[in-house]
Amino acid sequence: MDKFMVIGERIHCISPAIRSAIAERNLEPIFKRAKEQLDAGAHYLDVNIGPAEKDGEEVMQWIVQAIQNEFDNVPLVLDTANKKAIEAGIKVYNRSKGKPIVNSADAGDRIDNINLAAANDAMTIALCAKEGIPRDNDERMMFCQEMLERGMEAGMDPEDMLFDPLFLVVKGMQEKQVEVLEAIAMISEMGLKSTGGLSNISNGAPKELRPTMDAVMIAMSIQSGLTSAIVNPCDKLLMDTIKTCDIILGKTLYADSYLEL
Amino acid sequence: MGYKKTVKKYNGTINKVTLGTGEKAFEIGGRNVMPFYKFDGEAGEQAKVGIEISDEPASSWSEAFAELYKEAGDDTAAWAKLVEEKYAPDFICLRFDGADPNGKNKSVEECVEVAKKVADEISVPLVVAGSKNDEKDSEVFQKIAEALQGKNILILSAKEENYKAVGAAGALAYNQKISAESSVDINLAKQLNILLGQLGVKKESVIMDIGSAAVGYGFEYVTSTMDRILLASLGQNDDTLQMPIITPISFDVWSVKEALATEADEPAWGNQIERGIHMEVSTAVSCLVSGSDAVIVRHPKSLETVKKFIEKLS
Repeated sequence: MDKFMVIGERIHCISPAIRSAIAERNLEPIFKRAKEQLDAGAHYLDVNIGPAEKDGEEVMQWIVQAIQNEFDNVPLVLDTANKKAIEAGIKVYNRSKGKPIVNSADAGDRIDNINLAAANDAMTIALCAKEGIPRDNDERMMFCQEMLERGMEAGMDPEDMLFDPLFLVVKGMQEKQVEVLEAIAMISEMGLKSTGGLSNISNGAPKELRPTMDAVMIAMSIQSGLTSAIVNPCDKLLMDTIKTCDIILGKTLYADSYLEL
Repeated sequence: MGYKKTVKKYNGTINKVTLGTGEKAFEIGGRNVMPFYKFDGEAGEQAKVGIEISDEPASSWSEAFAELYKEAGDDTAAWAKLVEEKYAPDFICLRFDGADPNGKNKSVEECVEVAKKVADEISVPLVVAGSKNDEKDSEVFQKIAEALQGKNILILSAKEENYKAVGAAGALAYNQKISAESSVDINLAKQLNILLGQLGVKKESVIMDIGSAAVGYGFEYVTSTMDRILLASLGQNDDTLQMPIITPISFDVWSVKEALATEADEPAWGNQIERGIHMEVSTAVSCLVSGSDAVIVRHPKSLETVKKFIEKLS
């Protein structure tokens, strides 16, 4: 069994520092965040360049090459609604440390991203949703099945698909939380891999509560079978929780300094 | 239906570590499969076998060893030379039994002198072992590491109690190789490697001595520890455990009753020295198939047998 895979979420154009860095083609703030996340133990880095309708292809190629050159071909998650930009990014991507991951496909308008991933021998995140939030787990699993079939028809190895159950905010959708955990368990029982934007769950909660909420949710999700997540690796409590889950599940061998690795 | 050959692939690879200098220098490690499973992938460097000698005369072991090495007299360097020329081990392990403060308590300077003379007489790599007194060993190791700078020796070993001193002097200051000793405790084996890494010692400078026992004396703990290490290093690609393993089996084998009891004590057991050799060969090959990349034996007959075993399986 593989260790839990940590995808760093902090290179995201929603952050003003990253947005202006992309606009000005200034690598320094991007490298700073990449380094912080890798030092904190991220395995993959998500690179969100926003919708990037105008110059997406050029931006994606620039950022993929720059980050991979600077950080020993770190594997990346290519995150944008612009399909051409994702394809352009994959063209210049170095696979020596892992395949590129397309972020993301869903069971609705973006289902073609599965074919895009398949055609380019990439992995993809497959969001179990069509329009908005799935009504219940019957619907979630139907979407999961649809995307799995689409992937297999396109010749994808199911191992290359990371199914996202869609984490939901606790404050406002408290009654949906157990359902999400059950969806993770069902995905896991099908032998499939999973991921998701974990910090959704603590959105809107006071800042001091968020690390605790995220850490507990990740532990419960891992116990349900979650195999990776898109998180802020600089959150120490969260990372310590993930590392301890790996220890308890026997995915890494214990040593007194395991949290320092 | 035809026979379909399956292979077991692992993600991790054991690091390569070089010992010695010049023509007789060698590497160990480099394997990404279980020991000798060359049909599964890269079997790495051939396992190495060294012979143990002591700063004390061979007669301190037994009359049989005194007889075997009588040409060398009480001169450790001559003993080392004789071993290299006559028996051609891959390396020589010089053990400082005489440094023990509860024994002869030889001075650090005396030990350094012996180590230098031995190193000058041999061309195979040198492994230096202590007296099992952590404090004294640290001092002896530091000075020997300094005196033998450039020889690329292996210091056996750094332990939890003295890894800082031994690691800093041995690997960082004088660029020798360090063995990390963990006495059949897998979590400590990993922890020591992490600590040495945090000290700044490069992975390529570390070998593990994960502990040993003579067969029949708790050896199952040794073999299960090695299994778990290989599961982590190869299977889980845990780079804090991808160090090659050296096992000084002679340190344990010659102190168990099968090797110690005289023929007068146990007339039914047969020749005493042969019993020791049998114990040594059984333990050494068991370690090699479990995961050791190098073993240390005492008797030349054991060396010959174990080397033949390795050649046949490699």
